[in-house]
Amino acid sequence: MRRSKINIPAMIFLIIGAIFILFPLYMAIMVSLKNPQELGQSILGWPSKIFWSNFPNAMAATHYWQAFTNSFIITACAVILTILTNSMVAYAIARNMHKRFFRYIYFYFFAAMFVPFPIIMLPLVRQMSHIGLANQWGLIILYVVYGISFNVFVYVGYLRSIPMELEEAALVDGASRWRIFWQIIFPLLAPINATIGIITAIWAWNDFLLPLVMLGDPGQFTLPLQQYALQGQYSTNYSEAFASYLMALLPMLLIYVIAQKWIINGVTKGAIK
Amino acid sequence: MKSLKRVTSTMMTLSLLVPTMLSTYHVASANSVTITLLQNKPEVVNEWNTLIKNFEKSHPGITVKQVNPPNIDLALQADVAKGQVPDLVAMGDDATYISMAKHGIFTSWQGRKELKLVAPAYVKMLENSVGNPTPYALPYTINAVPVLYNVTLMKKYHVAIPKTWNQLIADAQKIKKAGGTAFYNGWKDSWTLAVPWNALTTNNEPANFQHLLVTGKASFIKSDKVAASDMITLAKYGQANEFGTDYNDANSGFANGKGVFYLQGTWVLPVLRADNPKVKIGSFVFPATNNPKKTKMVSGVDSLLAVTNSGDTAKEQAAQTFVDFLLSKTNGGNYANIAGAFSTVRGVKAKDPAIAGLQTYIDAGRVIDFDDHYYPAAMAAGNQYESSLQGSLSTQQSVTSILKSLDTMYQSAIAHQ
Amino acid sequence: MKLLRRYTMYLLMTVPIVALFFYFHTLPALTGMYYSFTNWSGFGSIQWVGLKNFIGLFQDPQVMHSYLFTLEFAAVTTILVNVISLLIALALNAKIFLSKTFKAIFFMPYVLGTLVVSYIFNYLFSNVIPTIATQFHWTALTQNLLGTQYAWLGIVIVACWQGAAFNTILYLAGLQTIPEDVYEAAMIDGASAWRRFWGVTFPLIAPFFTINMVLAAKTYLQVFDQIVALTNGGPGNLTQSVSFLIYTNGFSGGELAYQSANAVVFLLLLLIVALVQLRFLQRREVQL
Repeated sequence: MRRSKINIPAMIFLIIGAIFILFPLYMAIMVSLKNPQELGQSILGWPSKIFWSNFPNAMAATHYWQAFTNSFIITACAVILTILTNSMVAYAIARNMHKRFFRYIYFYFFAAMFVPFPIIMLPLVRQMSHIGLANQWGLIILYVVYGISFNVFVYVGYLRSIPMELEEAALVDGASRWRIFWQIIFPLLAPINATIGIITAIWAWNDFLLPLVMLGDPGQFTLPLQQYALQGQYSTNYSEAFASYLMALLPMLLIYVIAQKWIINGVTKGAIK
Repeated sequence: MKSLKRVTSTMMTLSLLVPTMLSTYHVASANSVTITLLQNKPEVVNEWNTLIKNFEKSHPGITVKQVNPPNIDLALQADVAKGQVPDLVAMGDDATYISMAKHGIFTSWQGRKELKLVAPAYVKMLENSVGNPTPYALPYTINAVPVLYNVTLMKKYHVAIPKTWNQLIADAQKIKKAGGTAFYNGWKDSWTLAVPWNALTTNNEPANFQHLLVTGKASFIKSDKVAASDMITLAKYGQANEFGTDYNDANSGFANGKGVFYLQGTWVLPVLRADNPKVKIGSFVFPATNNPKKTKMVSGVDSLLAVTNSGDTAKEQAAQTFVDFLLSKTNGGNYANIAGAFSTVRGVKAKDPAIAGLQTYIDAGRVIDFDDHYYPAAMAAGNQYESSLQGSLSTQQSVTSILKSLDTMYQSAIAHQ
Repeated sequence: MKLLRRYTMYLLMTVPIVALFFYFHTLPALTGMYYSFTNWSGFGSIQWVGLKNFIGLFQDPQVMHSYLFTLEFAAVTTILVNVISLLIALALNAKIFLSKTFKAIFFMPYVLGTLVVSYIFNYLFSNVIPTIATQFHWTALTQNLLGTQYAWLGIVIVACWQGAAFNTILYLAGLQTIPEDVYEAAMIDGASAWRRFWGVTFPLIAPFFTINMVLAAKTYLQVFDQIVALTNGGPGNLTQSVSFLIYTNGFSGGELAYQSANAVVFLLLLLIVALVQLRFLQRREVQL
């Protein structure tokens, strides 16, 4: 069979593509490992002497651990709360799609997916400030709430494939819907919870616009926002700037390397449901 | 100067976080007052912290918390919505200040002793930009738009300090012929275009132009032909990649001898010295006309001090006490020196030799405010008009087309003001 | 009784969340729509001005240009991202060495933050490429691309570099649903690779094509992060996207109401684009 042979044009295409993907990261690493003098002579070459101190310098300058902690708290809370609340709403909707009320809620969430953020953004800043939530806690609420549209869509698709018999048996035994959901259905949702968790985590960790408009206190800045806020501080100390960029990318990259298969499967499931 | 606010978006310092940390260490005494200071210059966060520390030592009842947000407009809007405005604001004379002053956010300094401590010409300037003869703010530091030059390169190319526009361009030609770059421009960041633009417009347009701007009757095509054509000339003598070089790269390029002249305000001096501690910089007044006797230096309020109407007398008084402290000759002078600005405090002279020569213009009152302080908010804020200039110049458009774009923008801004 | 209890529990599970959703999502959107009919600047008094802002928008060259740019950018990027990711997916699905490594490389950009990636590319465009071009005397490339009238290309490149990952994942998932025997049948018929693709592969992954086109168009119409980090809207207003314009002018310059009106128009545009796409693309889908 011809198909069992190695496809040479595909290989060549992939190698060129991979170089294109990896080149900016290679450059970022090279820049971050040089001292400014050497950088002036050669950007892409291997450093003659590795200049590690760019990393601790950038860490101190950008208050890395503080921003990291902020990003981590926001992302972790957003993921946990999203999974708990959104799956629950989706369950109630999925089991009642025949009732008009729940069907309308479903369409309401779906339609909201097409509302662009800019129209919410301008009044939102005032509304959140007014109730004292223009901070990281408010941000967590927004991630949980804004994710609903897409997440409910994914959850409902999956929930409808879970047979009702299980629940009905439990119902006959006198269990409440609340208990049925948490004890029987929620554990069954594990694969899709993972999907939603991964998508939410990538979104909340990397998001820039929402923290930009919501966070006023520099002590609460997330990693991307910190990169933006401190742009001018490096002036032209690009080595330090790149050390800081790499450290901002690193946590997600590490998780990707460890959980790559999961992430890809999760995203696939989320999008084709 | 509005530009400084824009610098905010590109220039930030690490010490943003220091004030919050300081305030947590502070133990509040029984009848202490905490006031919030909102200031818009990231490059001087450390200097403000020093001032605050000294102030708190001599005034144990008052604690000052510094806030330096990345986007001051957004921060203030959020604060107004919260009903929690900062007690003291140190910012530029920009569209946000003007709009807040117009809406009665600030208290008036009318009849107070502080008003007599600062240069009256600049008090007047602030009143003019708000369009109301009430001093809602005190000028604290002022900046100036000279031409900065690299002393070593001036000698290398054998050019003398130009006094007229023609001399400046003749110098530029000479430098270009010798293979050098006359102007090192950081025009990828559009706001940097405001610097030469304001020097050229204010010196070459009808005297009542700023008044016309405010009343909505100004016409760029009628008044700014000279300025537009001079901008085209400047672009010709800039480096090849002038629209691809940003403010930071331009600072570093100029500081490292890549160009002879640098069209930037005095505020850039601390940055240039950080980029290259060995660079020798001089300055002369931007020769915007061919009549050196007539040429005025563009100079505006770099930082103003305004106390907000919080309704809390204790806080307002504490803020005023802090202002009194800031207006001492020592504090005013030191702060101005670090910020690369001139102090408005009476009797304080610029210490920095690179700009000391400009002081005579300020003392003699041969200064004129930035035109863009009088542009309508929708045109001045968010780099609007500079972007238009950047767009026109980078695509080599004609004088008429440059000015027509500005007029269109001006008319539209007036319409939904 | 039991029936009622069952229904109550469902309501308790949904209503609070729906209320929160309304309060944090729909209410601000409605407030924004209200602002669009006023002259509010963010400070001071508020007055009803009817359609004045909307009329102003359509006469404002800056606003019109931002729509033009956004639509062009979104169209070019959506198409490019889909073509590129489909090619990558086809190649990954072919018989190749190191298939896992290649997958890992091509999907990686998906987890990286757009803002930081754009900062890295900014340096590439402003320093690396001009330096290399000067060394080799490639005059055309000695200028920073982001400072020229082709700045939009830079944004497209960054968007593709990052955006292709997600779409590739979906296309690959789609390709893997195609049973081997479908190909074998086509090969026995003697169909060329080109005909096999258009006759067999593409119709079968059409649903994925639809999802990808709709999602990509929605993402790229709202482009913001790349613009902030790469061009800040310049040179001139050449690369000001609608989102960028609403952010910069809405929060400063007293245009809160005016830019709210802009946001309402933007909402309508997104709805129209989504509807047109769904109608047009779904008609072509074939189910296996």
